[in-house]
Amino acid sequence: MQVKFFLNNRPFIAEVSPNDFLLKTLRDHHVTSVKNGCNESSCGACTVLLDGHPVLSCSLLTVRVEGRHITTVEGISEDVKILSDLFSDEGADQCGFCNTGLALAVYALKRELKNPSDEEIKRYLVGNLCRCSGYQAQFKAIVRYVRNEQ
Amino acid sequence: MAFHHYHRATSLEDAQQTLLSHPSNILLGGGLWIKKSNAEADTAVDLSLLGLDQINEKEDHIEVGAMVTLRDFETNPAIQKLGGGFVAHAVGQIMGVALRKLATVGGSIAAKLPFSDVITPLLTLDVTLVFYPKKEIKLADYLSSKGKNKDILTHLIIKKTPGFGFFKKVGNTALDFAQLNIAISRLNSHVAIALGSRPGVAALATQAMAYLNGCAKIGPKDIEKAAEMAVAELSFASTTFASEDYRKTLALTYVRRGLEEVLAHAS
Repeated sequence: MQVKFFLNNRPFIAEVSPNDFLLKTLRDHHVTSVKNGCNESSCGACTVLLDGHPVLSCSLLTVRVEGRHITTVEGISEDVKILSDLFSDEGADQCGFCNTGLALAVYALKRELKNPSDEEIKRYLVGNLCRCSGYQAQFKAIVRYVRNEQ
Repeated sequence: MAFHHYHRATSLEDAQQTLLSHPSNILLGGGLWIKKSNAEADTAVDLSLLGLDQINEKEDHIEVGAMVTLRDFETNPAIQKLGGGFVAHAVGQIMGVALRKLATVGGSIAAKLPFSDVITPLLTLDVTLVFYPKKEIKLADYLSSKGKNKDILTHLIIKKTPGFGFFKKVGNTALDFAQLNIAISRLNSHVAIALGSRPGVAALATQAMAYLNGCAKIGPKDIEKAAEMAVAELSFASTTFASEDYRKTLALTYVRRGLEEVLAHAS
Protein backbone atom coordinates (compact mmCIF):
# COMPACT_ATOMS: atom_id res chain seq x y z
CA MET A 1 0.00 0.00 0.00
CA GLN A 2 1.02 3.58 -0.59
CA VAL A 3 2.03 5.88 2.25
CA LYS A 4 2.62 9.61 1.96
CA PHE A 5 4.43 11.59 4.61
CA PHE A 6 6.98 14.38 4.93
CA LEU A 7 10.66 13.55 5.24
CA ASN A 8 12.64 16.60 6.35
CA ASN A 9 9.79 18.81 5.13
CA ARG A 10 9.70 17.26 1.66
CA PRO A 11 6.81 15.06 0.49
CA PHE A 12 7.80 11.40 0.53
CA ILE A 13 5.84 8.58 -1.08
CA ALA A 14 6.58 4.93 -0.44
CA GLU A 15 5.02 1.62 -1.45
CA VAL A 16 5.04 -0.55 1.67
CA SER A 17 3.62 -3.71 3.17
CA PRO A 18 1.34 -3.21 6.23
CA ASN A 19 4.03 -4.98 8.29
CA ASP A 20 6.90 -2.70 7.31
CA PHE A 21 8.54 -0.59 9.95
CA LEU A 22 9.75 2.92 9.21
CA LEU A 23 13.40 1.95 9.72
CA LYS A 24 13.18 -0.53 6.85
CA THR A 25 11.24 1.85 4.61
CA LEU A 26 13.76 4.66 5.09
CA ARG A 27 16.81 2.44 4.57
CA ASP A 28 15.20 0.80 1.53
CA HIS A 29 14.96 4.32 0.13
CA HIS A 30 18.66 4.95 0.82
CA VAL A 31 18.09 7.09 3.92
CA THR A 32 20.96 5.25 5.58
CA SER A 33 21.70 7.85 8.25
CA VAL A 34 18.99 6.01 10.23
CA LYS A 35 20.84 3.07 11.76
CA ASN A 36 19.68 -0.46 12.39
CA GLY A 37 21.21 -1.35 15.75
CA CYS A 38 19.25 -3.82 17.86
CA ASN A 39 16.05 -3.69 15.80
CA GLU A 40 14.04 -4.41 18.95
CA SER A 41 13.39 -1.01 20.52
CA SER A 42 16.26 -0.99 23.00
CA CYS A 43 19.31 0.84 21.59
CA GLY A 44 18.03 4.12 20.11
CA ALA A 45 20.27 3.99 17.00
CA CYS A 46 17.18 4.14 14.76
CA THR A 47 15.78 7.28 16.45
CA VAL A 48 13.96 9.75 14.15
CA LEU A 49 11.71 12.66 15.03
CA LEU A 50 7.96 12.20 14.53
CA ASP A 51 6.36 15.65 14.47
CA GLY A 52 9.41 16.88 16.38
CA HIS A 53 9.53 14.16 19.04
CA PRO A 54 12.02 11.29 19.17
CA VAL A 55 10.61 7.84 18.35
CA LEU A 56 12.15 4.47 17.49
CA SER A 57 11.76 3.93 13.76
CA CYS A 58 12.41 0.17 14.19
CA SER A 59 9.13 -0.10 16.07
CA LEU A 60 6.90 2.34 14.22
CA LEU A 61 4.79 0.91 11.40
CA THR A 62 5.31 2.97 8.26
CA VAL A 63 1.57 2.94 7.54
CA ARG A 64 1.00 4.87 10.75
CA VAL A 65 3.06 7.90 9.69
CA GLU A 66 0.66 8.85 6.90
CA GLY A 67 0.58 12.65 6.69
CA ARG A 68 3.08 13.10 9.54
CA HIS A 69 6.48 14.79 9.62
CA ILE A 70 9.61 12.67 9.94
CA THR A 71 12.98 14.29 10.60
CA THR A 72 16.37 12.62 10.21
CA VAL A 73 19.81 14.22 10.76
CA GLU A 74 19.68 15.57 7.21
CA GLY A 75 16.86 17.82 8.42
CA ILE A 76 18.78 19.35 11.32
CA SER A 77 22.09 20.02 9.57
CA GLU A 78 22.85 23.34 11.28
CA ASP A 79 22.58 21.81 14.73
CA VAL A 80 24.45 18.72 13.60
CA LYS A 81 27.38 20.95 12.58
CA ILE A 82 27.47 22.53 16.05
CA LEU A 83 27.12 19.16 17.79
CA SER A 84 29.79 17.44 15.72
CA ASP A 85 32.23 20.29 16.38
CA LEU A 86 31.54 19.96 20.11
CA PHE A 87 31.92 16.16 19.94
CA SER A 88 35.26 16.53 18.23
CA ASP A 89 36.33 19.26 20.68
CA GLU A 90 35.59 16.94 23.61
CA GLY A 91 37.16 13.90 21.92
CA ALA A 92 33.77 12.19 22.04
CA ASP A 93 33.75 10.58 18.59
CA GLN A 94 34.29 6.86 18.32
CA CYS A 95 32.74 4.66 15.63
CA GLY A 96 29.85 7.06 15.01
CA PHE A 97 27.15 4.43 14.64
CA CYS A 98 24.98 5.84 17.45
CA ASN A 99 25.67 9.49 16.60
CA THR A 100 22.75 10.14 14.27
CA GLY A 101 20.11 8.78 16.64
CA LEU A 102 21.76 10.53 19.56
CA ALA A 103 21.94 13.85 17.68
CA LEU A 104 18.19 13.74 17.00
CA ALA A 105 17.41 12.90 20.61
CA VAL A 106 19.65 15.72 21.85
CA TYR A 107 18.10 18.15 19.35
CA ALA A 108 14.62 17.27 20.65
CA LEU A 109 15.80 17.47 24.27
CA LYS A 110 17.04 21.01 23.75
CA ARG A 111 13.64 22.09 22.45
CA GLU A 112 11.56 20.18 24.94
CA LEU A 113 13.26 20.76 28.32
CA LYS A 114 13.77 24.23 29.74
CA ASN A 115 17.11 24.66 31.57
CA PRO A 116 17.52 20.93 32.22
CA SER A 117 19.78 19.74 35.04
CA ASP A 118 22.58 17.22 34.33
CA GLU A 119 20.35 14.52 35.76
CA GLU A 120 17.42 15.48 33.50
CA ILE A 121 19.69 15.40 30.44
CA LYS A 122 20.95 11.93 31.36
CA ARG A 123 17.44 10.67 32.02
CA TYR A 124 16.22 11.95 28.65
CA LEU A 125 19.02 10.10 26.84
CA VAL A 126 18.72 6.77 28.67
CA GLY A 127 17.48 5.05 25.53
CA ASN A 128 20.40 6.05 23.29
CA LEU A 129 23.17 3.53 23.82
CA CYS A 130 26.84 3.88 22.83
CA ARG A 131 28.91 0.71 22.95
CA CYS A 132 32.30 2.36 22.36
CA SER A 133 32.58 4.84 25.15
CA GLY A 134 31.84 5.59 28.77
CA TYR A 135 29.50 8.47 27.79
CA GLN A 136 31.56 11.09 29.67
CA ALA A 137 32.98 12.94 26.67
CA GLN A 138 29.63 12.83 24.84
CA PHE A 139 27.91 14.12 27.93
CA LYS A 140 30.28 17.10 28.17
CA ALA A 141 29.66 17.93 24.51
CA ILE A 142 25.89 17.53 24.89
CA VAL A 143 25.78 19.78 27.96
CA ARG A 144 27.65 22.49 26.05
CA TYR A 145 25.22 22.16 23.11
CA VAL A 146 22.11 22.23 25.30
CA ARG A 147 23.36 25.26 27.24
CA ASN A 148 24.62 27.04 24.13
CA GLU A 149 28.22 27.02 25.37
CA GLN A 150 29.97 26.85 22.04
CA MET B 1 3.23 -10.70 14.44
CA ALA B 2 2.35 -10.50 10.80
CA PHE B 3 -0.89 -9.13 9.44
CA HIS B 4 -2.26 -8.97 5.94
CA HIS B 5 -4.21 -5.74 6.16
CA TYR B 6 -4.06 -2.47 8.04
CA HIS B 7 -7.21 -0.52 8.81
CA ARG B 8 -7.24 3.01 10.18
CA ALA B 9 -10.57 3.17 12.00
CA THR B 10 -12.77 6.21 11.31
CA SER B 11 -14.98 5.68 14.37
CA LEU B 12 -15.20 3.35 17.35
CA GLU B 13 -18.10 1.59 15.67
CA ASP B 14 -15.98 1.06 12.56
CA ALA B 15 -13.09 -0.17 14.73
CA GLN B 16 -15.23 -2.73 16.50
CA GLN B 17 -16.93 -3.96 13.33
CA THR B 18 -13.54 -4.50 11.72
CA LEU B 19 -12.14 -6.12 14.86
CA LEU B 20 -15.03 -8.59 14.97
CA SER B 21 -15.00 -9.33 11.23
CA HIS B 22 -12.24 -11.95 11.61
CA PRO B 23 -11.27 -13.94 14.73
CA SER B 24 -7.55 -13.19 14.32
CA ASN B 25 -7.94 -9.42 14.01
CA ILE B 26 -6.11 -7.26 16.50
CA LEU B 27 -6.09 -3.71 17.83
CA LEU B 28 -2.87 -1.73 17.63
CA GLY B 29 -1.73 0.13 20.71
CA GLY B 30 1.75 1.62 20.47
CA GLY B 31 2.88 -1.34 18.37
CA LEU B 32 6.00 -2.16 20.40
CA TRP B 33 5.06 -5.83 20.78
CA ILE B 34 4.31 -6.58 17.15
CA LYS B 35 7.81 -7.92 16.59
CA LYS B 36 7.85 -10.10 19.67
CA SER B 37 4.92 -12.24 18.61
CA ASN B 38 4.84 -15.01 16.00
CA ALA B 39 1.07 -14.83 15.66
CA GLU B 40 -0.63 -13.98 12.40
CA ALA B 41 -3.59 -11.65 12.05
CA ASP B 42 -5.84 -10.84 9.15
CA THR B 43 -6.21 -7.13 9.94
CA ALA B 44 -4.55 -4.76 12.38
CA VAL B 45 -6.95 -2.02 13.46
CA ASP B 46 -5.45 1.38 14.27
CA LEU B 47 -7.27 3.67 16.73
CA SER B 48 -4.90 6.60 16.36
CA LEU B 49 -7.31 8.91 14.53
CA LEU B 50 -10.13 8.66 17.07
CA GLY B 51 -9.01 11.40 19.45
CA LEU B 52 -8.10 8.91 22.17
CA ASP B 53 -4.75 10.62 22.73
CA GLN B 54 -6.08 13.32 25.05
CA ILE B 55 -5.87 13.83 28.80
CA ASN B 56 -8.65 15.89 30.37
CA GLU B 57 -8.54 17.00 33.95
CA LYS B 58 -11.97 17.28 35.57
CA GLU B 59 -12.90 18.42 39.04
CA ASP B 60 -12.63 15.08 40.81
CA HIS B 61 -11.00 12.85 38.17
CA ILE B 62 -8.64 12.71 35.21
CA GLU B 63 -9.83 11.21 31.95
CA VAL B 64 -6.98 9.58 30.01
CA GLY B 65 -7.46 8.35 26.43
CA ALA B 66 -6.25 4.81 25.79
CA MET B 67 -3.94 6.00 22.99
CA VAL B 68 -2.11 8.53 25.18
CA THR B 69 1.60 7.73 24.96
CA LEU B 70 3.59 6.99 28.09
CA ARG B 71 5.62 10.14 27.43
CA ASP B 72 2.54 12.37 27.20
CA PHE B 73 1.15 10.68 30.30
CA GLU B 74 4.23 11.18 32.50
CA THR B 75 4.69 14.83 31.43
CA ASN B 76 1.04 15.81 31.99
CA PRO B 77 0.70 18.26 34.92
CA ALA B 78 -2.43 16.56 36.29
CA ILE B 79 -0.73 13.13 36.24
CA GLN B 80 2.39 14.62 37.82
CA LYS B 81 0.29 15.75 40.77
CA LEU B 82 -1.23 12.32 41.47
CA GLY B 83 -0.06 10.98 44.83
CA GLY B 84 2.86 13.38 45.02
CA GLY B 85 4.09 12.34 41.57
CA PHE B 86 4.76 8.62 42.05
CA VAL B 87 2.80 7.56 38.95
CA ALA B 88 4.65 9.98 36.66
CA HIS B 89 7.93 8.93 38.28
CA ALA B 90 7.18 5.24 37.66
CA VAL B 91 6.24 5.71 34.02
CA GLY B 92 9.18 8.06 33.40
CA GLN B 93 11.61 5.25 34.24
CA ILE B 94 10.44 2.97 31.45
CA MET B 95 13.15 2.55 28.78
CA GLY B 96 13.95 5.75 26.81
CA VAL B 97 11.91 8.77 25.75
CA ALA B 98 11.73 7.54 22.13
CA LEU B 99 10.07 4.31 23.24
CA ARG B 100 7.72 6.09 25.62
CA LYS B 101 6.60 8.39 22.80
CA LEU B 102 5.27 5.28 20.99
CA ALA B 103 4.04 2.99 23.77
CA THR B 104 0.51 3.72 24.96
CA VAL B 105 -1.13 3.62 28.38
CA GLY B 106 -4.09 1.68 26.97
CA GLY B 107 -1.82 -0.85 25.27
CA SER B 108 -0.04 -1.70 28.53
CA ILE B 109 -3.33 -2.09 30.38
CA ALA B 110 -5.42 -3.86 27.74
CA ALA B 111 -2.66 -6.43 27.21
CA LYS B 112 -2.26 -6.89 30.99
CA LEU B 113 1.51 -6.73 30.54
CA PRO B 114 2.87 -8.64 33.55
CA PHE B 115 6.08 -6.60 33.98
CA SER B 116 4.30 -3.27 33.42
CA ASP B 117 5.53 -0.32 35.48
CA VAL B 118 2.34 1.51 34.40
CA ILE B 119 -0.21 -0.91 35.83
CA THR B 120 1.33 -1.35 39.30
CA PRO B 121 1.12 2.30 40.46
CA LEU B 122 -2.31 2.79 38.82
CA LEU B 123 -3.60 -0.23 40.72
CA THR B 124 -3.10 1.63 44.00
CA LEU B 125 -5.41 4.43 42.79
CA ASP B 126 -9.13 4.40 42.04
CA VAL B 127 -9.04 3.65 38.30
CA THR B 128 -12.03 2.72 36.14
CA LEU B 129 -11.57 1.43 32.60
CA VAL B 130 -14.11 2.47 29.99
CA PHE B 131 -14.70 0.09 27.08
CA TYR B 132 -16.64 0.59 23.87
CA PRO B 133 -19.49 -0.13 23.27
CA LYS B 134 -20.68 -0.09 26.88
CA LYS B 135 -18.67 -1.38 29.79
CA GLU B 136 -17.00 0.14 32.80
CA ILE B 137 -14.82 -1.97 35.03
CA LYS B 138 -12.34 -1.30 37.83
CA LEU B 139 -8.71 -1.84 36.83
CA ALA B 140 -8.20 -4.57 39.48
CA ASP B 141 -11.28 -6.47 38.21
CA TYR B 142 -10.11 -6.22 34.61
CA LEU B 143 -6.67 -7.58 35.49
CA SER B 144 -8.16 -10.62 37.21
CA SER B 145 -10.75 -11.23 34.47
CA LYS B 146 -10.27 -14.20 32.17
CA GLY B 147 -10.96 -14.79 28.49
CA LYS B 148 -10.38 -12.77 25.36
CA ASN B 149 -11.73 -9.26 25.48
CA LYS B 150 -13.30 -7.98 22.27
CA ASP B 151 -14.47 -4.65 23.61
CA ILE B 152 -12.28 -1.62 22.96
CA LEU B 153 -10.57 0.17 25.82
CA THR B 154 -11.15 3.87 25.15
CA HIS B 155 -10.42 5.68 28.42
CA LEU B 156 -9.15 5.42 31.97
CA ILE B 157 -10.89 7.41 34.65
CA ILE B 158 -8.45 8.16 37.45
CA LYS B 159 -10.05 9.54 40.58
CA LYS B 160 -8.15 12.40 42.16
CA THR B 161 -7.72 11.65 45.87
CA PRO B 162 -5.31 13.60 48.06
CA GLY B 163 -2.42 11.56 49.37
CA PHE B 164 1.01 10.23 48.69
CA GLY B 165 2.42 7.28 46.78
CA PHE B 166 5.60 5.23 46.60
CA PHE B 167 6.97 3.32 43.63
CA LYS B 168 10.04 1.16 43.24
CA LYS B 169 11.16 -0.81 40.21
CA VAL B 170 13.92 -3.30 40.93
CA GLY B 171 16.12 -3.90 37.88
CA ASN B 172 19.79 -3.83 36.97
CA THR B 173 19.53 -1.07 34.36
CA ALA B 174 16.90 1.34 33.08
CA LEU B 175 16.42 -0.87 30.02
CA ASP B 176 15.64 -4.05 31.99
CA PHE B 177 12.18 -5.30 32.81
CA ALA B 178 11.47 -5.13 36.51
CA GLN B 179 12.51 -8.13 38.59
CA LEU B 180 9.76 -6.85 40.83
CA ASN B 181 7.86 -3.58 41.06
CA ILE B 182 6.16 -2.23 44.13
CA ALA B 183 3.61 0.57 44.47
CA ILE B 184 2.09 1.77 47.71
CA SER B 185 -0.32 4.63 48.13
CA ARG B 186 -1.97 6.29 51.10
CA LEU B 187 -4.93 8.31 49.90
CA ASN B 188 -7.31 9.84 52.44
CA SER B 189 -5.61 7.62 55.03
CA HIS B 190 -6.45 4.48 53.02
CA VAL B 191 -3.41 2.32 52.24
CA ALA B 192 -3.09 0.30 49.02
CA ILE B 193 -0.26 -2.11 48.14
CA ALA B 194 0.35 -3.50 44.63
CA LEU B 195 3.13 -5.81 43.45
CA GLY B 196 3.89 -6.54 39.80
CA SER B 197 6.39 -8.55 37.75
CA ARG B 198 6.31 -11.36 40.35
CA PRO B 199 6.40 -12.33 37.39
CA GLY B 200 2.58 -12.32 37.14
CA VAL B 201 0.60 -9.19 36.31
CA ALA B 202 0.33 -6.70 39.18
CA ALA B 203 -2.13 -7.50 41.95
CA LEU B 204 -3.25 -5.85 45.16
CA ALA B 205 -2.24 -7.37 48.49
CA THR B 206 -5.81 -7.16 49.74
CA GLN B 207 -5.31 -8.98 53.06
CA ALA B 208 -2.34 -6.83 54.05
CA MET B 209 -4.33 -3.76 53.02
CA ALA B 210 -7.37 -4.83 55.09
CA TYR B 211 -5.12 -5.40 58.09
CA LEU B 212 -3.48 -1.96 57.84
CA ASN B 213 -6.71 -0.13 57.11
CA GLY B 214 -8.22 -1.79 60.21
CA CYS B 215 -5.47 -0.47 62.48
CA ALA B 216 -6.39 2.60 64.54
CA LYS B 217 -2.76 3.68 64.38
CA ILE B 218 -0.17 1.91 62.25
CA GLY B 219 3.03 1.15 64.15
CA PRO B 220 6.35 -0.47 63.13
CA LYS B 221 5.07 -3.95 64.09
CA ASP B 222 1.99 -3.47 61.90
CA ILE B 223 4.22 -2.52 58.96
CA GLU B 224 6.32 -5.63 59.50
CA LYS B 225 3.20 -7.81 59.72
CA ALA B 226 1.61 -6.27 56.63
CA ALA B 227 4.78 -6.83 54.59
CA GLU B 228 4.79 -10.50 55.64
CA MET B 229 1.09 -10.83 54.81
CA ALA B 230 1.60 -9.30 51.36
CA VAL B 231 4.37 -11.77 50.56
CA ALA B 232 2.28 -14.68 51.84
CA GLU B 233 -0.93 -13.84 49.98
CA LEU B 234 0.53 -13.13 46.51
CA SER B 235 2.14 -15.68 44.19
CA PHE B 236 5.81 -15.41 43.27
CA ALA B 237 7.79 -17.52 40.83
CA SER B 238 11.27 -17.88 39.36
CA THR B 239 12.30 -16.62 35.93
CA THR B 240 15.67 -16.00 34.32
CA PHE B 241 15.48 -12.46 35.74
CA ALA B 242 15.05 -13.36 39.39
CA SER B 243 14.30 -16.36 41.59
CA GLU B 244 11.13 -16.77 43.63
CA ASP B 245 13.05 -16.39 46.90
CA TYR B 246 14.80 -13.26 45.69
CA ARG B 247 11.48 -11.73 44.64
CA LYS B 248 9.95 -12.52 48.04
CA THR B 249 12.93 -10.95 49.82
CA LEU B 250 12.63 -7.85 47.65
CA ALA B 251 8.89 -7.68 48.30
CA LEU B 252 9.32 -7.93 52.05
CA THR B 253 11.93 -5.18 52.09
CA TYR B 254 10.27 -2.75 49.71
CA VAL B 255 6.74 -3.11 51.04
CA ARG B 256 8.13 -2.22 54.46
CA ARG B 257 10.16 0.72 53.12
CA GLY B 258 7.28 1.94 50.99
CA LEU B 259 4.86 1.82 53.90
CA GLU B 260 7.33 3.72 56.08
CA GLU B 261 7.65 6.34 53.38
CA VAL B 262 3.93 6.90 52.74
CA LEU B 263 3.15 6.89 56.46
CA ALA B 264 5.88 9.42 57.18
CA HIS B 265 4.19 11.68 54.67
CA ALA B 266 1.30 13.41 56.42
CA SER B 267 -1.69 13.30 54.09
